[in-house]
Amino acid sequence: MKEYDGRVRLIFKDFPLPSHDLARPAHEAARCAGAVGRYWPYHDLLFANQPKFERADLVRYALEAGVPRDGFVKCLDEHRFATAVADDVSQARALGVSSTPTFLINNRPLVGAHPIENFRTAIDEALQDKK
Amino acid sequence: MVNRVRSTTARPPRVYTIPTALLLAALTLIAGTGTAQTPVVDLSVEPGMVKGPRAAPVTIVEFSDYQ
Repeated sequence: MKEYDGRVRLIFKDFPLPSHDLARPAHEAARCAGAVGRYWPYHDLLFANQPKFERADLVRYALEAGVPRDGFVKCLDEHRFATAVADDVSQARALGVSSTPTFLINNRPLVGAHPIENFRTAIDEALQDKK
Repeated sequence: MVNRVRSTTARPPRVYTIPTALLLAALTLIAGTGTAQTPVVDLSVEPGMVKGPRAAPVTIVEFSDYQ
């Protein structure tokens, strides 16, 4: 991202797979952190601590990410962002996305975990197309 | 003695919600058809889940699973 500063916009979408039963609460938790402006620090903690996503873990990451505890716990327990996560899943399916991670780079799909070089190539091509 | 004519109570200003919504929907469609390949799907974008400027020439949409 740094390398392409100002030229790339990244939009993160939730796509918890149904077979991953701990994923959905983690996605909801990240949005709870986002509600107080701490989405990305929380996101990074989730990836760093994968797949330890029990409730107590999720609360601990919130504190590490600087999210006030009480509001976070309330948000998590009342599943405030369950619908938002479900909406992302619906949008993914409507786009034909069926596995994770899937990246759409100016609408062109790049499916799976690729080496950074493949991203560079795809981004450079997208930039070239814009010229 | 004349009965006092009931003054017309001030009406709340009318809000043109539906036409505005239709206009927005039409604009979204127009904007969408120009950039997206088929299928056209309206993506909701949560501002907190975005990095980089809106005007960036390249947009990456990442669908990921934390687990």
